[in-house]
Amino acid sequence: MASNGKLTGKQRLGWTVLTVVVLLYALFPVAAILATSFKTQADLGNAAFLPSNWTWANYEMILVGDAQELFLTAFRNSIGITLIATFIAVVLATLCAYAIARLNFPGKRIILGTALAVSIFPVISVVTPLFNLWRNIGLYDTWLGLIIPYLSLTLPISIWTLAAFFRQIPWDLEQAAQVDGATQWQAFRRAIVPLAMPGVFTTAIIAFFIAWNDFVYGISLTSTEAARPVPAALAFFTGASQFEEPTGAISAAAIIVTIPVVVLVLLFQRQIVSGLTQGAVKG
Amino acid sequence: MTTTQNPPAAVAGEAHTTTKPTAPEKSRVRSDRAEAWRRRAPLMPALIFLIIVTQVPFLLTIWYSLRSRNLLRPEGEQFVGLSNYGDIFLDSTFRQAALNSVLITFGCVIVAMLLGLGLALLLDRKFFGRGIVRTLLITPFLIMPVAGALLWSISMFNPTYGLVNWLIGLVGISPVDWTSEYPMFSVIVALVWQWTPFMMLLLLAGLQSQARDALEAASVDGASAWQTFRYITLPHLRFYLELSVLLGAIYVVNTFDHIYLMTAGGPGTASANLPFYIYQRAFLGFDIGQSAAMGVVTVIATIALALLALRLIFKSINAKEQS
Repeated sequence: MASNGKLTGKQRLGWTVLTVVVLLYALFPVAAILATSFKTQADLGNAAFLPSNWTWANYEMILVGDAQELFLTAFRNSIGITLIATFIAVVLATLCAYAIARLNFPGKRIILGTALAVSIFPVISVVTPLFNLWRNIGLYDTWLGLIIPYLSLTLPISIWTLAAFFRQIPWDLEQAAQVDGATQWQAFRRAIVPLAMPGVFTTAIIAFFIAWNDFVYGISLTSTEAARPVPAALAFFTGASQFEEPTGAISAAAIIVTIPVVVLVLLFQRQIVSGLTQGAVKG
Repeated sequence: MTTTQNPPAAVAGEAHTTTKPTAPEKSRVRSDRAEAWRRRAPLMPALIFLIIVTQVPFLLTIWYSLRSRNLLRPEGEQFVGLSNYGDIFLDSTFRQAALNSVLITFGCVIVAMLLGLGLALLLDRKFFGRGIVRTLLITPFLIMPVAGALLWSISMFNPTYGLVNWLIGLVGISPVDWTSEYPMFSVIVALVWQWTPFMMLLLLAGLQSQARDALEAASVDGASAWQTFRYITLPHLRFYLELSVLLGAIYVVNTFDHIYLMTAGGPGTASANLPFYIYQRAFLGFDIGQSAAMGVVTVIATIALALLALRLIFKSINAKEQS
């Protein structure tokens, strides 16, 4: 942080070593599970970092082999449920955030406060009643039965992030466009939508990320392949035989479910980081 | 935040005056009220939904917590007042789970915050490849928590082929069965690893919002790097440090995935935290009443934490508005 001046060779070396150590700390566990996912069953017992024989067997097992039913259906459930929940959350949150950023009315602070309060509400304290309720009204182990609680996870943060984005949009542009002869709808579409899209998009990624990662609802409110999402399925993995630990398959599955999120976030890193910190810091 | 809105809304707001309304004004007041509700309309779907989905189940939780309800003994359901609460505080496992929750939360949050501060300071320097290093350092936060927990319990901490044992084996230490001998430590390590990037991002935002001229002035005045950090950076960061601890604590206190997958609360109940113990009592022990009572206690504890965070956030907003 301190001086931006010239560093001596020794200092430069020190900082480089430090950076490498820090990177190792962050990435070594990821590299470890990546390496494990390429190990053969026999190889797993060896405490060595790299596999002695590289194999795709673990990936084959969960994608086309014995475990495919468990993994691929869960993957499909996760993607479907998460996308639907994200879409609904973003639509509702856009309306809500628009009103918060644009319109003046009493009780605005209360609404933002409610959204915040809901977002910190411990999931574990409502999961048992939801379980009972869902069993009574037939939502247990269905997509909708997960979409609804996922909305309660994603809506509050979506509202906060979008409200922060919308507050920075120069809404005068809309009036300026109308003065220039555009209709109200044209003005909104041409002037405001392009400015708002990055915020909406970032919010969608954050909402997706949160719903995708959920474990508590996933494991409590599903019981079969009908709706079980990936995180819950990972906990149910069993090996090819009862006596074999499914370590390789679990590692491969963990890699597969992590890749989409990492790629998505890395591509849009800049927007997401600023979105997250705005939501958190600016309030 | 209500003061900086667009002009038409402000005019509408002024209509509510204290003077006695004449007839036309009365209708104006009424239409104003309708207008106010029309303005609130876009908020309603999200808000009503949120309240129904979280608060109705919570009311049910409170209701359950006042009844004796054990799914294994269906005949015994009755109103028992606060006796579930009395029972859970006499339950030594509950007290231990509560203590574990505190240990895990603060252990994880403090260590992750210190590491995150270190990483943020590292990234606040200009160096070649900074963008890539930052991106790579965020990775642990992007790993699905379930995958992260499995990654630590399988690849890192496994007693026979875990890489931690491989690493300590290189310097001649004999293998350790981490998740059963040191379950709390193992869980905290995995959580710290996952949460460090979150702290780093928040604190980096704080560092980069520092006024550069103050730092330059300090270096012109001959302050050492440590003095600059201690007297300029640290006071500036205070808000961000407090915020990262509180936000981190609110999330980490609800940790469930890591306990479930790494130790299953074990050995015995040695590493169960409150969410895990609540889940265990409800879904494996079928004791809905006591589990609900513990849920209510957890909610109260979380609200206390959150109120602290909120006060901090609003204090900073007010400070910014005044300055």
